[in-house]
Amino acid sequence: MGDAQYPISIRTINSLPHDAKQRIYRMLVPPELLTRFGINPILWRGSGHTVELYAPPDSSSVNLSINNPADAHDAYFTLELKDNATNGIDLNLILLNDPTAEKFGIDYDAEGKATEWGTMTRNLAEEERAMRAGLAPAQVRAGLGMSREVFHQLDVFLAFCSRQAISLEPLTYASAWIFEKRGFAYVRGHKLMDDIHREFQPGGKLHAALDNSTPLRQPDAWRTVRGRAWAIQDGILEAIGERWRDLRMIKVIGKHAGVETFPGAVY
Amino acid sequence: MRDTFILTRAAELNSLPAFGDFIKRTCAELGIPQETSFALQLACDEAAMNVIQHGYAGMNPGSLMLELRPQPNQIVMVISDFGHPFEPVEPAAPDVNALLQDQPTTGFGLYLIYQTMDDVQYYSDEQGNHLVLTKRLS
Repeated sequence: MGDAQYPISIRTINSLPHDAKQRIYRMLVPPELLTRFGINPILWRGSGHTVELYAPPDSSSVNLSINNPADAHDAYFTLELKDNATNGIDLNLILLNDPTAEKFGIDYDAEGKATEWGTMTRNLAEEERAMRAGLAPAQVRAGLGMSREVFHQLDVFLAFCSRQAISLEPLTYASAWIFEKRGFAYVRGHKLMDDIHREFQPGGKLHAALDNSTPLRQPDAWRTVRGRAWAIQDGILEAIGERWRDLRMIKVIGKHAGVETFPGAVY
Repeated sequence: MRDTFILTRAAELNSLPAFGDFIKRTCAELGIPQETSFALQLACDEAAMNVIQHGYAGMNPGSLMLELRPQPNQIVMVISDFGHPFEPVEPAAPDVNALLQDQPTTGFGLYLIYQTMDDVQYYSDEQGNHLVLTKRLS
């Protein structure tokens, strides 16, 4: 693997024989998650669940997932890491859903096309149903409540790889808020998050745009992370001449940045 | 005693008072002399201004992280950002005449940093860009 003081890339790990890379990538799956669903931590199988590893040689990304036993195409845990252009590692995707909770079809539109979790196209009826059930945008099911454990395992893995930081692009306002709580700071978009908070206060432009004109713009949505996130999903940032795009966050391993752009937030 | 005190805010002008207050409160809590506190506040203000003006130019500003690390005979202040690297090379003394005539000058902020701090180091890595300022406590 080379000198331990130099960062190890995903591509380097992927070039190893299957058993060797599987042993390394085991670090990324929280033991609590395996225990909860009766999955053997060595075999990565149990109780109908299987941990899938996709890390082809010559690839610079790794994808770990656990599918719902009732549907092989329905992953409730997915973690995708990728080497980035600046010699760092990006967290491309993280999914943590409770497979026993009700599913909301926000991931496919009325014509059956993938919506990319509502970022490319949208399924408005299912989004409204998900919102009323207490979910945040991009969630197909209620969360597993294990993001703390997953990020702990990520820290362990990145320290093993002699990495100092990990970057990501938050898909939604709610996910950015969660990443703040997990210690992330902003490479881009900290000011936008501050602007959003300020404009959602009474008297602000976003507060005024919560006019009930669509089901996702409830007048009291400014009070909660999820309420704001649904209004942003609905395009409310146009009221301040912005869009939800180009935000980028970074977590320095072992350090909590202490960012709180929605002080005293209610989720 | 805690070994690090951290405050992270958006890299924008509105954040400058928060950084100043943070240094003032932390120094008071640590029993650091007021003159050292003033020097740190001044250097932080100038360094943060550089990040705001240059580091995040052309993008929606990201974070600016201020760390204070008290040590037995000195205090280390680290100002980190994730924008464009901007190495603050020690400038020549500014043109006083231009300052007196309220004309645009460059490098005055950096000059102040170098005058008020005992050591100035800069580096960029995977964790961002870091200005490490040291002030002796004697």
